[in-house]
Amino acid sequence: MISATINGQIVNVAKGTTILNAAKKININIPTLCKHLDLDATAACGICIVKIKGTKKMLRSCCTPLEKGMEIITHDNQLQEIRRTIIELILSNHPNDCLECGRNNNCELQKLAADFGIREQPFKRFLRQIPKDDSTKTIVIDPQKCILCGRCVQVCQEMQNVWALSFLERGLETRISPAGDINLADSPCVRCGQCSAHCPTGAITEYDQTKRVWQALYDTDKYCVVQIAPAVRVAIGEAFGFPDGTNLTGKLYAALRKLGFKAIFDTSFGADVTIMEEASEFTQRFVNKKGKLPMITTCCPSWVDFMEKFYPDMIEHFSSVKSPHEIVGVLSKTYYAKINKLDPKKVTMISIMPCTSKKYEITRSQEMFASGVQDIDVVLTTRELARMIKQAGIDFANLSEEEPDHILGDYTGAGVIFGATGGVMEAALRTAHYFITGKNVNKLEFENVRGLKGIKETEIEIKGIKIRIAVAHGLGNVELVLKKIQAALKAGKEPPYHFVEVMACLGGCVGGGGQPYGVTDQLRLARARGLYTEDDKKELYLSHDNPYVKKLYKDFLKEPLGKVSHELLHTHYKPRPLYRK
Amino acid sequence: MYKKTVFIKDTNFQGLGQTKELYNKFLEALRKKNLQDKIQIVRVADMGVYSKGFVVRIPDEGILYCNVKIEDLKNIVSKTLVNGQIIKGLQCDRVEKQLRIVLRNCGVIDPESILDYVDCDGYQGLKKVLLDLDPLGVINQIKLSGLRGRGGGGFPTWMKWNFAQKTQADEKYIICNADEGDPGAYMDRSVLEGDPHSVIEGMIIGGYAIGARKGYFYIRAEYPLAIERIQNAINQARDYGLLGQNILGTDFNFDLEIRLGAGAFVCGEETALIASIEGKRGTPSPRPPYPSVKGLWGKPTVINNVETLANIPYILLKGPKFFAKIGTKDSKGTKVFSLTGKVKNSGLIEVPMGITLKDIVYDIGGGLIDNKQLKAIQTGGPSGGVIPAKYIDTPVDYDNLSKLGSIMGSGGMIVIDQTDCVVDIAKFYLKFCVDESCGKCAPCRIGGSQMLDILINITEGRGKLEDIDKLKRISTAMQKASLCGLGQTAPNPVISTLTYFFDEYKEHIENKKCPAHKCQELLDYKVIEEKCKRCGGCVRVCPTGAISGNREDGYKIDLVKCIKCGKCFEVCRFAAISKE
Amino acid sequence: MKKITKQLLESAGGKAGDSKKDWIKVGMSTCGIAAGAQKVYDILTQEIKRRGLDIEVKKTGCLGACYVEPLVEVCLKGVPRVVYGNVDEKTAMGIIDKHICSKRIMNDHVILR
Repeated sequence: MISATINGQIVNVAKGTTILNAAKKININIPTLCKHLDLDATAACGICIVKIKGTKKMLRSCCTPLEKGMEIITHDNQLQEIRRTIIELILSNHPNDCLECGRNNNCELQKLAADFGIREQPFKRFLRQIPKDDSTKTIVIDPQKCILCGRCVQVCQEMQNVWALSFLERGLETRISPAGDINLADSPCVRCGQCSAHCPTGAITEYDQTKRVWQALYDTDKYCVVQIAPAVRVAIGEAFGFPDGTNLTGKLYAALRKLGFKAIFDTSFGADVTIMEEASEFTQRFVNKKGKLPMITTCCPSWVDFMEKFYPDMIEHFSSVKSPHEIVGVLSKTYYAKINKLDPKKVTMISIMPCTSKKYEITRSQEMFASGVQDIDVVLTTRELARMIKQAGIDFANLSEEEPDHILGDYTGAGVIFGATGGVMEAALRTAHYFITGKNVNKLEFENVRGLKGIKETEIEIKGIKIRIAVAHGLGNVELVLKKIQAALKAGKEPPYHFVEVMACLGGCVGGGGQPYGVTDQLRLARARGLYTEDDKKELYLSHDNPYVKKLYKDFLKEPLGKVSHELLHTHYKPRPLYRK
Repeated sequence: MYKKTVFIKDTNFQGLGQTKELYNKFLEALRKKNLQDKIQIVRVADMGVYSKGFVVRIPDEGILYCNVKIEDLKNIVSKTLVNGQIIKGLQCDRVEKQLRIVLRNCGVIDPESILDYVDCDGYQGLKKVLLDLDPLGVINQIKLSGLRGRGGGGFPTWMKWNFAQKTQADEKYIICNADEGDPGAYMDRSVLEGDPHSVIEGMIIGGYAIGARKGYFYIRAEYPLAIERIQNAINQARDYGLLGQNILGTDFNFDLEIRLGAGAFVCGEETALIASIEGKRGTPSPRPPYPSVKGLWGKPTVINNVETLANIPYILLKGPKFFAKIGTKDSKGTKVFSLTGKVKNSGLIEVPMGITLKDIVYDIGGGLIDNKQLKAIQTGGPSGGVIPAKYIDTPVDYDNLSKLGSIMGSGGMIVIDQTDCVVDIAKFYLKFCVDESCGKCAPCRIGGSQMLDILINITEGRGKLEDIDKLKRISTAMQKASLCGLGQTAPNPVISTLTYFFDEYKEHIENKKCPAHKCQELLDYKVIEEKCKRCGGCVRVCPTGAISGNREDGYKIDLVKCIKCGKCFEVCRFAAISKE
Repeated sequence: MKKITKQLLESAGGKAGDSKKDWIKVGMSTCGIAAGAQKVYDILTQEIKRRGLDIEVKKTGCLGACYVEPLVEVCLKGVPRVVYGNVDEKTAMGIIDKHICSKRIMNDHVILR
């Protein structure tokens, strides 16, 4: 333990603790800007500087470890003055058009300027004259608002290992861009949106499509239906003052109805259907030896894009099942439309996702038009939905709980845990166990796949055979797993795993790129807890027990992996270039 | 064949005519004694002595006569040249102010020949180290010598080596920082080009001391000859068994490799240099951890400047006491300076620490060009400051220079006279730092540009008095909150010139005038009536029609229309346009 | 590929440019080359070869007096060793004619430091 004083108070911390964290321990908040809890300090902004008593030297508290006997001063006249000057300098290079910005009221720079009581602009203002990049139609980069904190580059390079973003030029000309100054859409970007989730200002935001949805809702010619993803229900509360991880499913259904949607579905239902198909697929490969092992999940479009770009030689390991929301999408325009005698062309399906890359997924290939028209018309992120609810004057907190349209809206516990890392695996294994043994399993058997560890490995025994499992989340953690698999296959050995789940975002979809800002590990765990708690409370926790799923197969799909399933619910993958052009 | 040679020079530079007169009179005096075929008189271009009238030097006898008049020539011939007697009244002495240790072989050996180097005690230091000393012993010798880093930091070299030596790791590295970026500084370049093996030997010794098996030269790409000579020297050293396995028959293995810079001044900073070698973007990282503990690829790394390394073999060869005897209490040894600017003898000099600025500028530098008045001396490049003429008796060492608000830096020393504008100089250095800023941290990236913008305004007549406070405020933020030395020291020239020459700033701001007549926008162009030949040539080139008049009445420049482009000044063949 | 052994180092050293032969050294660092030293070096080498003179012409580093580059140092038996500054093509020929052939030091170019 190291003992030192901060502002005259003694503090004892473990060796290696930064001055910033040590101060937090004794309730002293040193202001920061570029530091993010998820990431190593880049030490770029200089606002966190502190002084050593009696010396002229100043250190950055976000990255300097506290040393024995240090006498730190965190706030005095000189430090305040310097911090204020730095903020004014940053603001002189920033548009300051908060009222027209996607981060109005939710921006770290805005908060810092407000806390420091900035009232004037003593320095000449100048801005980068670089246009926005919305080429991906999922993420928008506005270089004018960028304060060069470096978080997005760290996230894209180190956390996600995609390397789509980097620093270009130097000095005042420095900016964030893909290498070679190309469009984001032509770069390796997998649209996971983690850059936007970590950006402190409005420099990177989601591609806002609320206008289109408003238009559709007010268009009498259109029949608007909506589905919400599992991860949305435990995060939407953050925009309305609820405690972290509160599960607000019922209120969401009510709000969506109030917005004007004619039918409310739930992606968790689609998750149950996914499990029916995927568990069957796994059984085929594992028991009947038809198909490559390990089988790798594909409900995450960023992960699919990553595999197609970086590891195209492993495409045969992919499960061919579409993602849950695509399944609900295609069913809404075939199964549901047929039953309700609707013209599929008039059905407008909106998908509320915690994810930015779903915006890209819906036109990924022709198979996303399996119903004859585009299966899903617009994807909105959780953040966009929150804004729509507020715009519509809905008093979200005081809504009474409502029910979904059960036909595509009822789900089991297995379906809703898709939102957390390990959830897909757990749900799939619950049903695979039944498919292989005919018996239902105790749901506590799969605790090992839960939690925030980057790579979780475990073994399940079904009918005396050991099934080796790996669950990875955060694309940066995938490399190790894939390399292990590749090495074993190349050497002609048994693969190290039989079944692998990958989620591109840390924590799984609950930590998605479209979720409310300010994600931390604490928040990820709280949101996941919200989902697992619902799973605990639900009577039905096995996808194959879902009565509406049973009805779907009986009336429409006939059987998992059958002809209709393959037409509507399965897809193919192809290698894609890292750099287009 | 001549038996004796006599050198003469007019050290007051009054013109070749006067010198030729004395020369001819000297020859006459020789002819009178019939010695014109035995003794050669040579007019030299530089005697190494200045402002001492006519100087006569007889090298064989080591005699130096100053302020010699034509009347004295007869005596010199009869007494000194014929009889070998010294004329006391004329005698003066010249103390060699320079002491070449780092530059000991530059200009002496062929830098492309390892055998030349060996002939001049080359690799003797290494021999002593490998055969007689252990790593801690080497570090101790460096400690006793008092050598401090010559790259500008002035950090005790032995300490850096000691930290690296003490840190346990399976791999360690030593890097030679040859990314000399200060404008006007070329000390390191000359050592790399003129005596590459001395740096190599220093690195091998350093590698041995800290336990490294690999060393890197980080040479800026703008030094192609240095790269060529070092590569050549490395190849030769390998061929001759001084690099590679079992050096000099011991079990010490060590090899060197060159990595090139790519036009970034900031990569002279240790952590940015390491990032550059690792193939990453060359930006600094926070310290701690320091490179000696966790540097290149996470391993203990020592980064030393070229000049520091060139000192090492000599210290080990001659013993540390010899080195410690030179210099001042806290600044031992010599320092190479690139003396440039308005000084007559610009070039590389190497002097013991503690020599005064006066000796450097006048005794070695030969005084100012055109005998102008000294205004200040700028030291330390873009990280340094100006030292006004009143401090000319300051002994040069690390502490004295920083007490005066400047730094030793890597050795740039620029002499400034009355025709140089200090605001312009501060602006030049600040622009350099702004251009070279890596852009990572906000204080340097934005603060530097804002300060430059203010300085440009001041030099172009748009300055306001409140700008001074802004400059000071941003300077403090940059000095305290920048991530690396570039940003931390970029405001130094501004602060230093504000401290010593505030009146010049005031003149620029309040009266919109530049006392040195340097800042273009503040100059008033006028026609000098007495010189004007009324040819009308200036009228033709003026882009705004600011010059009006005719042959009879003469010409006048309208200061309101004048945009100060300077075309009339350039074109006038009669020097009849003044700009003040 | 002779190896430099401890023994060789033992016997070497202390010679410090002490050559028995006559020599000319031309300052060929970047400061010299920028001022035109390459041409001077070439002229000296060619001319000495042409005249069959027994003098070694060597490259060397920066002698420090950069304000008067190109610099040429001449060491000839029987003539004091001097450094010439501001050596252009004409001066280079002059060094050969006057200094080397006629054993007379040229006026107005010697740098004594």
